[in-house]
Amino acid sequence: MHYRHHEMLPRSVKKEFKLNTRLMVATIICLLLAWTRASADTPFVSGFDRFARHGDVESAVGGRLLLSELSCTACHLTDVQDLQPKGGPNLDGAGNRVQTEWLKKFLLSPQTTRNGTTMPDVLASLPEEQKMQAVNALSAFIDSLRQPYPQLKANGATPVPLEFWKHGSVKHGSTLYHQIGCVACHDPDDDYEVVKIKPSPIDQLLEHLEPDDIAEMGLTSTARRVKSVPYGNLPAKYTYKSLTFFLLNPEKVRPSGRMPNFQLAAVDAADISAYLMRSVRDNATAGKSKSIRSSEAAKDDSELVARGRKLFVEFRCVSCHSVTGLQPTQSSKPLAGLQTNTDASCFNSPQPDRPHYELDEFSRNSVIAALTGVQRSPRKDASEALHLRILQLNCLACHERNKQGGVGRFRKPYFETVGNIDIGDEGRLPPPLTGVGQKLKVPWMQNVIDGKAAVRPHMHFRMPQFPKSATQDLPTLFNQTDGGTEQPSEQTVFTAGSKSEMMEAGRRLMDVGCVQCHSFRGHALPGTVGTDLGGIANRVNPKWFRDFLLDPAALKPRTRMPTFFPNGSSQNRDLLEGDTQKQIAAMWTYLRELNSQQLPEKIVHARNQNYELTPSDRPVVLRTFMKTAGTHAIAVGFPRKVHFAFDAEQISLAQAWRGRFLDAEGTWFVRFAPPADPIGKEHIRTPGGVPFAALTGPLQPWPTDAETAGYQFAGYRLNENGVPTFLYRIHQFNVEDRIQPTDDGGLVRRFILRIREGSPDVADQLYIRPHFGSALMFEQAGEYSNNDGLTVSVSLQSGSAGELRNNQAGTEWLIPLEVKSKTQVEVKYSW
Amino acid sequence: MVDHCERVHGRHSRRLVAAFMLSVVCIAGAEFAVAADENNYYRLISITTPKAQTDSRSKTWKPALDGLALEVSGMTMLDDKRVAVAIRKGEVWMLDGAYDDPPNNVRYKRFASALHEPLGLLRHNDSLYTAQRTELTQLKDTDGDDVADEYLTVAKGWGVTGHYHEYAYGPKLDGDGNMWLTLNIGMGLKGKQLTRTVRDPILGYQQGRWRGWGMKVTPSGTMVPVCAGMRSPCGIGVNAAGDMFYTDQQGNWVATNSLHHMRAAAFFHHAEALASMTQPGSTIQGVTSVPNGAPLAQAMEQFPQLKPPAVWFPYKKMGQSATDIMLDDSGGRFGPFAGQLFVGEFTQASMSRVFLEQVDGEYQGACFPFRSAFASAVLRMAQGVDGSVFVGLTNRGWSSLGASSYGLQRLVWTGKTPFEIKEMRAQSDGFELVFTKPVEQRTAEDVQSYLMNSYTYLYHSTYGSDEIQKRDLTIVRSIVSDDGYRVQLQVDGLRELFVHELVAAGVRSRNDEPLLHRHAYYTLNQIP
Repeated sequence: MHYRHHEMLPRSVKKEFKLNTRLMVATIICLLLAWTRASADTPFVSGFDRFARHGDVESAVGGRLLLSELSCTACHLTDVQDLQPKGGPNLDGAGNRVQTEWLKKFLLSPQTTRNGTTMPDVLASLPEEQKMQAVNALSAFIDSLRQPYPQLKANGATPVPLEFWKHGSVKHGSTLYHQIGCVACHDPDDDYEVVKIKPSPIDQLLEHLEPDDIAEMGLTSTARRVKSVPYGNLPAKYTYKSLTFFLLNPEKVRPSGRMPNFQLAAVDAADISAYLMRSVRDNATAGKSKSIRSSEAAKDDSELVARGRKLFVEFRCVSCHSVTGLQPTQSSKPLAGLQTNTDASCFNSPQPDRPHYELDEFSRNSVIAALTGVQRSPRKDASEALHLRILQLNCLACHERNKQGGVGRFRKPYFETVGNIDIGDEGRLPPPLTGVGQKLKVPWMQNVIDGKAAVRPHMHFRMPQFPKSATQDLPTLFNQTDGGTEQPSEQTVFTAGSKSEMMEAGRRLMDVGCVQCHSFRGHALPGTVGTDLGGIANRVNPKWFRDFLLDPAALKPRTRMPTFFPNGSSQNRDLLEGDTQKQIAAMWTYLRELNSQQLPEKIVHARNQNYELTPSDRPVVLRTFMKTAGTHAIAVGFPRKVHFAFDAEQISLAQAWRGRFLDAEGTWFVRFAPPADPIGKEHIRTPGGVPFAALTGPLQPWPTDAETAGYQFAGYRLNENGVPTFLYRIHQFNVEDRIQPTDDGGLVRRFILRIREGSPDVADQLYIRPHFGSALMFEQAGEYSNNDGLTVSVSLQSGSAGELRNNQAGTEWLIPLEVKSKTQVEVKYSW
Repeated sequence: MVDHCERVHGRHSRRLVAAFMLSVVCIAGAEFAVAADENNYYRLISITTPKAQTDSRSKTWKPALDGLALEVSGMTMLDDKRVAVAIRKGEVWMLDGAYDDPPNNVRYKRFASALHEPLGLLRHNDSLYTAQRTELTQLKDTDGDDVADEYLTVAKGWGVTGHYHEYAYGPKLDGDGNMWLTLNIGMGLKGKQLTRTVRDPILGYQQGRWRGWGMKVTPSGTMVPVCAGMRSPCGIGVNAAGDMFYTDQQGNWVATNSLHHMRAAAFFHHAEALASMTQPGSTIQGVTSVPNGAPLAQAMEQFPQLKPPAVWFPYKKMGQSATDIMLDDSGGRFGPFAGQLFVGEFTQASMSRVFLEQVDGEYQGACFPFRSAFASAVLRMAQGVDGSVFVGLTNRGWSSLGASSYGLQRLVWTGKTPFEIKEMRAQSDGFELVFTKPVEQRTAEDVQSYLMNSYTYLYHSTYGSDEIQKRDLTIVRSIVSDDGYRVQLQVDGLRELFVHELVAAGVRSRNDEPLLHRHAYYTLNQIP
């Protein structure tokens, strides 16, 4: 892959000839100016630079953008909501955030110290000496604004190591910086390596076109290099600690939200900070934390601080920067009353008592155009308000909307998928916002903007969190602009049908294609990472869902989502009579209820491959929790497809079943240790309870608890075929208990009882209870069945076949045992 | 599906580099790259460190697509080549070639399976022993094929209600041949779980039997309850004297992570362990009320059975979730800390070091940061036959630092001695520091080279405690021994039952090195 980036500089102005002639001349001049004058000493406003300078948005819109982003309206007040000022950083705590030397230089000459800053030079008109005095006073005041750093909350999910800000990893910081989205706005690093990906068809095309052709095809804006938002010399300005804490909560310092919150872990913020400060690591000159100011130091220069505090108000710094306890005291002309032709404006030559903005002519003209517009018709409709807002917040740095913006052409390689899986540009770039007001439900859109909606686990890019104050009406604006306010209800959009039928059909339709790319409440085919369809009914509008399924490319050009309904007809004639509308309704119905529904069959099958225990040549044992066999369950599965669960606490054969054995996922990998459920069929509750008991007489009830009945479980032994024999003790007897399938699909249980050497005898008679139930039916000698269909037969080496007794528990079959040195009893179960 | 893995250089726009910015001079000195420095002294070798397909806290957690899910939950050394490893899904594996450097040819053989979350592994009497959720099990290979064919129950009988938090840890062997186990408390039991509990009739606490207790199994196979009040006693370990210790994790009733000497009738934190107080064999008697919300010293007055930990690990500063305890029993092959204890740390994927001493018959001491930057949560540690330390990793269910989800690493001393505070001893008027290398006289003598403060914790049922009653302490004098290894700090205002936090940022060695770790935290239960 080779980007011919040097050839792609935006020299062409061809596109502009499509504009009307009145604008033409001005535009050309402006563009030329823009190109020559967009130099180091003017404020940088991303949306303005990317779109307004190139005529992609009207000059007056660009001007409105400058009015807010240069915070003109901080002094020239207006009640037009869209034009409220961006404002500067909150300076509470700036004393331990910013290096004093840097601050002084910055105050002396903002544009040269922090290239592209939107802060005006408030001291521009002062003579040199006065200026120095003002700088000293202001910096002393700002230096006095100290605040303890917040204590970060830590718990089992959030590591906060000791002095984490000192231990950042430049390497990992670089990876994060380039992957999570910082480089959508800021400069990437020349040396950063990205995984080579196939460029999209458009990007491929751009590589091969001449600038003239690009312009003709209307791709000038797409092809143009997007300039980075500069951040100046960070190591000179910050400390490791202050930059780390800034990254952890940008809104606290910059409430405008122009720098959003990436919701970084403490150590990740430290890593990015280490990366951004990396130039100081080699010569180890910077990075010392500034401590909380001692009270003596504060006293020493209290006079200077007081003067700075006064100047801070006088120079109107306070109009943009909030400092606890300070308020603006002076008023300027309101925005609506400003003369557009005056020489005394803030962006002409420096004037006493006015901040000075270094603006090029194009910017000046834009501001003038905007002011004229504001005075003529201050209020704009939702669409215009929205457009201005997304320019202000620079949403277009990441998202394309109505063919404007999106990740800059040369920034796209940094947007990678997790595991570098190729799922096209839509699988790695932030989603377009075209028509998003139709697509997303308003509450969900709010979640997205609040940074609470990570539904694309396949992307390294993260949607950052924007402050409520700047975004709370955004979802509504999108909704109104895109005509999404009148959303038809589910009932109107979807064809009705029987819920169970729809549910089942919807589930089966998932297997047609959806499962190849999407996950379902966290489950997916192996290696598949895509947007989870769980919860989709809370995210998208029903109508969009229907329209998108009918023709994905119509709503999302170049999507990899295939159409399953070419020309509106279903490929699957077997389900719901092949009715397209019914099938789409079925998919919605199933996905809406996904949490309570079985997963799509292909995913179930794939899961089983991983977690279903299937005995092939030897038995499989699993110790786990089970509903029937309790917390000491030992499940044993056999290749003959007859299985059982043994309760090692109650020494009880608890359950038997045939067919498939068990799903081990919960036991192996789920923290909350859910009980394992048998999968197969023909389950039968085996008689349960302890097998033997020493009873004082035939009236004594059968014990209900193994421990009080004198049992001690002693483990199990595997024979050469892997069949376990359970070992336990009761009174003076050692018992071996082996349970295996019979030839006819039942189980046979062989007990061997031996008398333990040296153990005290229990005088009471030992019984075995092979079977019990609410009623027992005599089948033949030594064989009874119960109402559940379980037949039990016993073969003894010798002795009586026992008898039935009735009590509250139902009918029990008891057989007295005469135990010699070794006694064997065999019990067969069939059902 | 995965393709395109060639790495190429990213391209980007020409940067507007403002050359004059370079004139801005920055001040001060960076203190950086601790993990890299630690690696000079203790080198990490990764045997296997896979990344799971899902986040560590995912409800549908899935291991890496390839290979064994080696979520190490227990480890024991077999001989000079083989290491036995228990993993959380319930198996025991024999690893051959784990000592190779690089470990490019490790062979894995499954020794045992079908264990229910085994959380320990011990070689003892030619068998392996492990604690499963429900029992202590002896794994025996009777036919010599290196596969267990007997899973014999050595001890059971503690309550298992079915709540996930009821982990059982161990065993570890003490100096008398007893095997020790620890039993997690259950949390918010409900429904059927409550039918499997015992209840203290006076206090009303309800838990599975012996939940929150430390148990020992004697050589004759009898299980004896020893001490109580544990919340999440994930680590057990013996010291050089053969005494047994456990670590606990911050949470309800537990102010911060802690290290305790397990001995009869001691009660540590978690009040709900008193549910078993009236069970036959209980070593705790007569508790009729439990203070809730008092500073530790007052709580101990009201609750005499309550014993302070030998060491507190102040939260965040010394980790967030203490795990295994390992004695450096290598006689110096693991560096200068022979005879000390090392403690694993889950959330921060690191290891701490502990110095213990006895004052009036009770253990107390100090903890120090030791090694960070493991690939995932450190759950288990075991010293190999060559003195190196195998470190077992797994972070499923919680979160940790590190890019991996589970695996095995080995920590090898490089032979270089780090400049560290090796020991910190309490004295009647301060502390004595013993360093691994001679200190430089001037900086070590300067009281400005040290900062000290002290604080204690609240004993209460809520989750964790802030550091309370915090006070900065004045270091009056610092006296350096002739050989430069020892420094006596005379400190004003020592307080019993307070953690004394030391930052020795200014001290330099005679080679002008700063300390590799400047922090130490001494739990001063008693002033000698």
